[in-house]
Amino acid sequence: MKRILVLVKQVPTSESVRLNEETGTMIRTGTDAAMNPLDLHAVEAAVRIAEASDQAIAITALSMGPPQAASALREALSLGCDEGILLSDPAFAGADTWATAYTLVRGIRTLGDVDLILCGERATDGETGQVGPMVAAMLEWPVLTYASRLEVCGDELQVGRAIEGGMEQAACPLPAVVCVLRDLNDPRLPTLSGKIRAHEAALRILGASDIEADSAHLGLGGSPTRVVNVTYPSFRRRAELLDARQDGIEAAIVRMQRFLGIEETGA
Amino acid sequence: MTADFRALTPDDIAALRAIVGETAILYGDADRLAPYRSDESGHGHGANPDVVLKPCSTDQVSRIAAYCNRHRIPMTPRGAGSGLAGGAIPLYGGVVLSFERMSSILEIDVENMVAVVEPGVITNDLCQRVGEDGLFYAGYPMSVQSSSIGGNVACNAGGAKVIKYGATAAHVLGLEVVLASGEVLQLGGKRRKDSSGYSLLRLMVGSEGTLGLITKITLRLIPQPGPSADLLVPFRSTEDAVAAFPKAIMAAPDMPAAVEFIDRLSMCHAMAYMGTTIPLADNADAFLIIQVEAKDADALFDVYRPVGEACLEAGALEVYVADTLWASERIWGLRRNCLEALRVIDPTVEGGDFVVPSTAIPAMMTFIRALADEHGVEIPCAGHVADGNIHPHPLKPEDRSDDEWNGQRHELLSRIAMKAVEYGGAVSGEHGVGFLKNDILAQSKGDELRAMKAIKDALDPHGILNPGKLFSN
Repeated sequence: MKRILVLVKQVPTSESVRLNEETGTMIRTGTDAAMNPLDLHAVEAAVRIAEASDQAIAITALSMGPPQAASALREALSLGCDEGILLSDPAFAGADTWATAYTLVRGIRTLGDVDLILCGERATDGETGQVGPMVAAMLEWPVLTYASRLEVCGDELQVGRAIEGGMEQAACPLPAVVCVLRDLNDPRLPTLSGKIRAHEAALRILGASDIEADSAHLGLGGSPTRVVNVTYPSFRRRAELLDARQDGIEAAIVRMQRFLGIEETGA
Repeated sequence: MTADFRALTPDDIAALRAIVGETAILYGDADRLAPYRSDESGHGHGANPDVVLKPCSTDQVSRIAAYCNRHRIPMTPRGAGSGLAGGAIPLYGGVVLSFERMSSILEIDVENMVAVVEPGVITNDLCQRVGEDGLFYAGYPMSVQSSSIGGNVACNAGGAKVIKYGATAAHVLGLEVVLASGEVLQLGGKRRKDSSGYSLLRLMVGSEGTLGLITKITLRLIPQPGPSADLLVPFRSTEDAVAAFPKAIMAAPDMPAAVEFIDRLSMCHAMAYMGTTIPLADNADAFLIIQVEAKDADALFDVYRPVGEACLEAGALEVYVADTLWASERIWGLRRNCLEALRVIDPTVEGGDFVVPSTAIPAMMTFIRALADEHGVEIPCAGHVADGNIHPHPLKPEDRSDDEWNGQRHELLSRIAMKAVEYGGAVSGEHGVGFLKNDILAQSKGDELRAMKAIKDALDPHGILNPGKLFSN
């Protein structure tokens, strides 16, 4: 293995999320932003694979986003990635998961040799979990999602997938895409030397023409997804005070069951 | 109850009920009185109040004080009950005066940059409210989410940011205080300085409810600081850490907002509690957390870089940098949960609060470790190194009975505090004396204590205000 690519995304911190009600897309300017939390685990996994390997493995962090997304790439560099590439162009704005995957794949093809792509299972803003598998599909590579264990054995990946009710052991040949979960590892804290390196590093910024993208597939215009409506969930809190001392324990239990919508089992 | 205090009668209850109203008095129901018998000073400390009053105005507080003074009924003021020295425990029963209903932010005066609040306001609520106006309340105890402003003022609370912003006293511009007699004093106000006679304002801050009852507080605000970064710095020894931090401060373009200290034992327990590890933790005997602030995000790197480099030059094993929420939470989570982590091991854990010139910290740590070995106990330590304020926490060994340990822990903490006094320190840096440190306050203060007592007797001649605190009755 020579090169690992980590897909990172800059997301708004959860306190500062705002939506454009007309387009249904997220407003990404003027908000506090950070690297998607699950992507930290993808970066950590890549760094651990490189550290454990006896051959040199380069780690490239790749992101698509506005110019300020550079800070997520610098964070990835401070955590041990060797190179950061930002796909940034006004034409990319408003992309859905399909257009994002298309743009990323154009970027990946421009880079050339990549043996393994790691990404977070999903991003905290869109919560779709689609981009990783879509990238794999467009590259015609295998994809392993929900990875909570990951090992590289020669040219093969062995992955533990967290599935409902247990853990699935899966293996596949390289190259491949792996979407990782939080359980995979404990991301390290960046060091001062890592921060200095990240601060001084030059990022490559590639636009639509650099990656030879078909403009029909880019941004909001190239996105098949249409957001029809955006609604906010409403919360309704109910409370009922039970006094077992006054009403008796049996009556209180019956009322609590009714409150919770639980049928009496008769046991 | 001492001979000076009279037991409450049904007439007293009726009179007090008439002042606060039916819904603001708790009486005769042990379950509902129970939350007012203790604070956060440790399990096992507590005393039952006869009655809890929840006044809603200065006038009510004044009438309650006047009544209790006339009838020699002890009064214990209570904020959020987050104190660590037993200051809110009603040792002599009587009245607990809870300020929970006096919890309004009365005014945010943006032009004068002050806030006027009632004592029951939770510190964090004030911080958030003034933040909406781009302002900042810099009094920042570690219990910011639970403590009340009144309690902070009563104890002159410190916290992690004293090095840059000062303890609570530095932020108090004015107080409305009800004396034992019921008389209401207005001390200070929306002015930044005052050289007109004795500063009764400064006298009231840190008086732990023994001189007067605080009913209104005017606080200094400052512009909201810019973004911050946190450095977690492991050192091979306490000596290295203590020698490094002044160099780090000198290297910083601006005063760091916090310089915290965690010893190896505290870090081990905190890492286990948080389910995380820090690389190099095995090689380190001491850790510093240094927080720096900058005008904006772009300037932050140039602020933390020289600080981190100064630490490395001074022998730091590594410098970890947190300029993101997740990393910052990881670092501060370890510091903030030092005490919670110890409570898992010893639910009765109780901490000291000594303060020394910071250069004496290595000698204090050597003394504490020798003392721990001598008694076969663990004494993890953490605190605010730049203030010289460290909290030692002796943990109950399994082979000691509760009674045996209560005496032994008090002796250990007393010996540590008195050693701090030898090094030019004091027995409490920020928690206050309450009743848990009465004896060592008396030992350490000598003539100064007599002067304090003279002031107490002048303002509260019948000793009804928080009896048993600061002075043993």
